[in-house]
Amino acid sequence: MSSITAGKRKGSQEGKSGRTFQWISGIILTIGGLFFLLPFFWMMMSSFKPENEIVQIPPTLWPETFTLYNFQYLFENMNFGIYLRNTLIIVAFSFVGLLLNAAAGFGFAKYDFKGRNALFVLVLATMMIPSQVTMIPVYLILNTLGLTNTMTGIVLPGLVGAFGIFLFRQFMSTVPTELLEATRLDGASEYRIFLQIVLPISKPILAVQAILTFIAGWNSFLWPLIIANDEGLYTLSVGLSLLKGQYAANFGLQMAGATFMVAPVILLFTYFQKHIIENFSISGMK
Amino acid sequence: MKSFLNKRAPYIFIAPTLLLLILFSIVPIAVALVISFTDMDLGGLANMDRVGFIGFDNYAEVIQDPVFHKAIYNTLFYVVIGVPLVILFSLGIALLINLGTSRIFKVFRVVYYLPSVTNIVAVAVVWSYLYNPALGLFNYMLNSVGLPDVPWLTEPTVAKLSLILLALWKAIGLNMIIFIAALQGIPRSYYEAAQLDGANTWQQVTLITVPMLRFAIFFVSITTMIGWLQFFEEPFVMTDGGPLDGTLSVSLFIYQNGFQFNNFGYAAAGSFVLFICIIAVTLVQLRLQKNETDMT
Amino acid sequence: MNKLMRGVLDMKKVLAMITTLALSASLLAGCGTNDNTEGSSGDASNEKVTLSVWGMGEEAKTLPKIAEQFTAENPNIEIKVQALPWDQGHEKLLTAIASKKGPDVVQMGTSWIPEFADAGALADLAPYVEQYPELKQEHFYDGAVEAGTYEDKYVSVPWYVETRVLYYRTDLLKEAGYDQAPQNWEELSDAAQKLAARGDGKYGMSIDPKEQSLGFMFARQNGAEWFTPDGQPDFANDKFVEAVEYINSFYQNGSAPKDLGLDIIPAFKEGILPMFISGPWMIKLIQDQAADIDGKWSMAVLPKKENNTSLLGGSNLSIFEYSKNKDAAAKFVAYMSKAETQLKWMEFTSSLPAATAAWEDESLKNNEFYKVIGEQLNAAVPMPVITAWSQISQSYVKHFEVIYRNNVDVKKELEALNAEAVKFMK
Repeated sequence: MSSITAGKRKGSQEGKSGRTFQWISGIILTIGGLFFLLPFFWMMMSSFKPENEIVQIPPTLWPETFTLYNFQYLFENMNFGIYLRNTLIIVAFSFVGLLLNAAAGFGFAKYDFKGRNALFVLVLATMMIPSQVTMIPVYLILNTLGLTNTMTGIVLPGLVGAFGIFLFRQFMSTVPTELLEATRLDGASEYRIFLQIVLPISKPILAVQAILTFIAGWNSFLWPLIIANDEGLYTLSVGLSLLKGQYAANFGLQMAGATFMVAPVILLFTYFQKHIIENFSISGMK
Repeated sequence: MKSFLNKRAPYIFIAPTLLLLILFSIVPIAVALVISFTDMDLGGLANMDRVGFIGFDNYAEVIQDPVFHKAIYNTLFYVVIGVPLVILFSLGIALLINLGTSRIFKVFRVVYYLPSVTNIVAVAVVWSYLYNPALGLFNYMLNSVGLPDVPWLTEPTVAKLSLILLALWKAIGLNMIIFIAALQGIPRSYYEAAQLDGANTWQQVTLITVPMLRFAIFFVSITTMIGWLQFFEEPFVMTDGGPLDGTLSVSLFIYQNGFQFNNFGYAAAGSFVLFICIIAVTLVQLRLQKNETDMT
Repeated sequence: MNKLMRGVLDMKKVLAMITTLALSASLLAGCGTNDNTEGSSGDASNEKVTLSVWGMGEEAKTLPKIAEQFTAENPNIEIKVQALPWDQGHEKLLTAIASKKGPDVVQMGTSWIPEFADAGALADLAPYVEQYPELKQEHFYDGAVEAGTYEDKYVSVPWYVETRVLYYRTDLLKEAGYDQAPQNWEELSDAAQKLAARGDGKYGMSIDPKEQSLGFMFARQNGAEWFTPDGQPDFANDKFVEAVEYINSFYQNGSAPKDLGLDIIPAFKEGILPMFISGPWMIKLIQDQAADIDGKWSMAVLPKKENNTSLLGGSNLSIFEYSKNKDAAAKFVAYMSKAETQLKWMEFTSSLPAATAAWEDESLKNNEFYKVIGEQLNAAVPMPVITAWSQISQSYVKHFEVIYRNNVDVKKELEALNAEAVKFMK
């Protein structure tokens, strides 16, 4: 939006080379983008095809027979409403985890306390643990705590993550210490500094984290399946995996389920990046 | 009381996260360590009396297992080729998008990010189709410009490359977003000063942007490295380790031994070998980073 | 250095913390709520009970329909069905065993029975046979009974069965000079080569190299035993080698594709693969997805060598050892094993009854396709009921892949498989 003014402000020579550069990068990105979109396009098209057309030779790109049967089946025969509700609950909880991660990242970034490095290495080490190994021990711990078959049990193990803490720490170490000191001199408590100064400054990284958190929650699969002894706790991903029969693949249904799962994320992300990242965009002239 | 809380602030900031991590990562890995010295299987899981300690037998056996060797080779292959490509592409795309000033560039952000939000089940179905030898879109495109078929998933080395391509498609978006967030943290004034000195776009990128992104690049390379050492989902859904174990990764090896054959002790031993390798690699990276800057 | 020392000290603190945590966790468990809401225990006749039943995939979506009818007859027993995905059902059951909390009744794919029975997770059904005569083993196909018996313990009652038969395109085989299905190995190989000679990317027959049981099935047809009399694996004997060489010949002479990448149904429809060996679920799939070839395809029992033994698979129902409602569970399992229930189940899902009496029913007797399956069921054996089997069969798939891709010496490769099998069975 501000490109025009920016262009005018620059010397004419740079304007020219800048504009050529813009065109070149635009073309490169377009070619790459088409490759990136191709699988999606195919997925969405397939969700409107009847099963026999999906497996037909040669394959069709555009549906010959357009049908809404797959979507209809999803909502009539699978409890997709319940799955959706559970998925949203998990997403809501995971945002609490996001705040905990941010607090920990801040603690590691801006304080010098006893054992800081050792603890941080411990946090990093958890990122290196292959998840296939800890699954059964984690389940047994939850079982000891009496948390199997509860929403808490589904949410708790993945609530915080080293990746998030690491990311926040990296970002928050760039917050100027003088700024914090100045606020301290005004008599603000450490918690107020965190909430009123550091979090607002960290908005770009919060946005990144929020998206990541949302996606992890939205696609959560293995824990809900393993912890829940009651279908009322299943998530959308689990529902999607139930569509696969022992002998029949049901591609059409799987594609429809996947499309249904991806669409909201696309909408949210488009909206999200417009409103959050944009505010901090440095491409605009102030 | 208040001052006490204030003094303790850093501990209070990190306590909840740390407790959860200890409970759900550290304790389980300690349990897994114990399991790796036993002959635990399904029967042992149901009845602890049947579990016996066998010392380092699992480790001795896994280190000699030719399938495990293959899995290690494949994993290294993935890391050596995959990690630089992810960093290069995501950084390149982030730079291009960030330089762009017209509306269309906002669209690109969404386009490149899309694959990382897609459910792996759907990804597997779609990509199996693209790679399909008989009716896959890729071979169809190659044939239409007169090129022969490529054995995408049916020749061990090509199959590894195909999985890397798919993983790239999935991984670029997330890292690109991290880079874009970092790019926006670079003060505008630096660029303005450079422009006054007559630096062109290319010089601005190489002299200001990339050095300022050092932290972000370091972060992305460490997390990507760890992620690729645990490469699991793609071979799991696409090839299940085939053809001829050509795409089997160490993580998948662990999974198969643990959850398909119920050899929990053996799988745990394999995972500790992996765990130690990851720690070693990460420490080397941290060391390199330390030498470069005075980061603690 | 100093930092390092401090780090070590911190680690000690952390370790102390872990110990405390572990202790408090166990204390919590002692006084925590035990949410084992599996209904009340005790006698099923006059108290209300809720049974939890774990089924797989889409089948579990149909189970409630049958369960309703059961509850109508037994108002005191509620059935709660939970669906598990086929791919992850195994993990879910592992955790159920680890925590000793799980379903009352569970669907068992026949290949899973040995490992779960070995872990003591499946209750012995013998005590219930007297009260519920429907559970008597003579009511079912022998192979299905065998699959549900582990070390002479009756752990799983047959529910539905499947066996592999030959599907073929009658029109295309006629063109190749076969008025009926190939009757023996020679004819099968000959027909496949004649069909493959059509060229133009067409083949004679589909042999799925990922199918774990195929080699063992053909070996059995060749008169090979799988084990020595003292129970050692015997997968490299001459008859076994001969059978695998026979399968390999299809790949080597080009009558079976190595990597076609087509689903079997469209390939069958287009005539690319005019023959394949598969189970009864294919009937419905062909009818749904390839309606154009109605009347141009048929089914036959497998071609013979010494015999034409096929593989028997399917699902059984087991009572979970840790269930608190075993009596009610037995009642439900008995209801599911009645011939009329199994016929109803077939209506809903097209899976075939394991109870032999059900096969006297008109709907099965007069159906040309089901008749073939019924006939093959008399010559069908399950895979061996031993815990190492899933590992052995996966290992076979790997070795067979080396055989058909690299065309190596079959005997050597099978000897390597045998050595691994000995290790697995230790």
